[in-house]
Amino acid sequence: MNENILCTKTHEYLLENNGQYEVGITDYAIEQLGDIVFIELPEVGTAFSKNEVFATIESVKAASEIYLPISGEVVEINEEVVDSPELLNDDSYNKKWLVKITSTADQLEFSDLLDYSDYKEEIE
Amino acid sequence: MVKQTILHDEHIKLGAKMVDFAGWHMPVQYASIIEEHNNVRNNVGLFDVSHMGEIFVKGKDSLTLLNKLVPQDISKLIVSKAVYCQLTNLNGGIKDDWIIYKLEDDAYLIIANASMTEQDVNWVALNKGDLDVEIINESHNYSMIAIQGPKACDLITDLGITSIPDFFTIKKDVINNIEVFVSRTGYTGEDGVEIILKNRYAVEIWNLLLKKGQVYGVKPIGLGARDTLRLEASMPLYGNDLDESTTPIEAGLTWSVDKDKSVDYNGKSNILQHIQNGTERKLIGFRMIDKGIARHEYEVWHNNDKIGVVTSGGISPTRGDNIGLAYIKTLDNLSVGSTIQIKIRDKFYNAEIIKRPFIQKRNKK
Repeated sequence: MNENILCTKTHEYLLENNGQYEVGITDYAIEQLGDIVFIELPEVGTAFSKNEVFATIESVKAASEIYLPISGEVVEINEEVVDSPELLNDDSYNKKWLVKITSTADQLEFSDLLDYSDYKEEIE
Repeated sequence: MVKQTILHDEHIKLGAKMVDFAGWHMPVQYASIIEEHNNVRNNVGLFDVSHMGEIFVKGKDSLTLLNKLVPQDISKLIVSKAVYCQLTNLNGGIKDDWIIYKLEDDAYLIIANASMTEQDVNWVALNKGDLDVEIINESHNYSMIAIQGPKACDLITDLGITSIPDFFTIKKDVINNIEVFVSRTGYTGEDGVEIILKNRYAVEIWNLLLKKGQVYGVKPIGLGARDTLRLEASMPLYGNDLDESTTPIEAGLTWSVDKDKSVDYNGKSNILQHIQNGTERKLIGFRMIDKGIARHEYEVWHNNDKIGVVTSGGISPTRGDNIGLAYIKTLDNLSVGSTIQIKIRDKFYNAEIIKRPFIQKRNKK
């Protein structure tokens, strides 16, 4: 994964890119879920607060709620993974974000996010 | 303490993802649940089902005791044959579901669900009274390997099994000088067998099956695919689809109940009443019309009324859609073809009641 991501303890990641943020789930989370068969994403324009459920990912075994790492408004969703959820399991597919958001979150909202190396230690 | 089967270390070597299931540390998947599912439908798969209970019942009153415990008429069972049964409580509710094998006159083998085995043994002992019967729980001494799929019989023929038993029949045989029981049964809707053997031979036979099975594309299969396979075949899962408050008639298992059984058994009057008068709720199968996956305990609605609950649900890799089992109120205007709604995360998704099983079974040869 991109070394610049910030991660939550619930396995979401956040990546700043040109004033927006990409939000997805970590490679570890994908590995744990196994075959991903269904992804439900919010509509563009929806606003969420920090740690609010914004998406659902279903593996063969179960449905998992996905939380937004910081508050923000959805400006784009990844239609490709909605149409073909199995792309998330495909190592050769590199567009693994779920939504892009804009955010006016203050530093406090970032305080509990882990950088990737700390996250990797956390899950070991 | 979480228990391990004798094959536990083999699963780790094969790279399995392990989970706690029914008090056992079991493989949920080795690579991909969907790939494993398809491999059983198209080729052959191996399942470690050693967590299941093996209870032997012996003695001259064995038949009398077993006949008291289940709605099926065990007196009709001839030596080497098996029957699918429910262990019923005094109200006809299901305490567990079993396969009973008649090994010889006055000697039977019960295969019970892992987490229910101890309860079952206690219940059998409670019902024994003064009968001349020995109840021997051999679960800790026996392993069980299921070999399932269209190429399963080819594989075990290569192992030296000379004649494969008929559907729902068991026989003793020898593989590599090891005595085993071979039973033409399974939990996938595919043709195949289950091998029951002493623990100390399980690793050898498991690895032999993997090696000899290479030419048939054999794969080890985890509990994840075991669940999707049995759901497509509409085989109930105890604890999900069956429980103590549900009779076999409500559960759609009337086909398995012996209506003419003359002797009394636990729950008989309620079960007969359910057969004669019908039930207030019943098990149905459905497919999702809208894009969504139904899961255990989701609500079922119809015309703005809550009419039931999903007991099993998920994807059907074979059909390519999403399916499920639910208990719904018995209503005149609801039958195969009717549209119902499944409540998923506070939204309603349309589903259609369809005939079960969800796929054409291929196990009755």
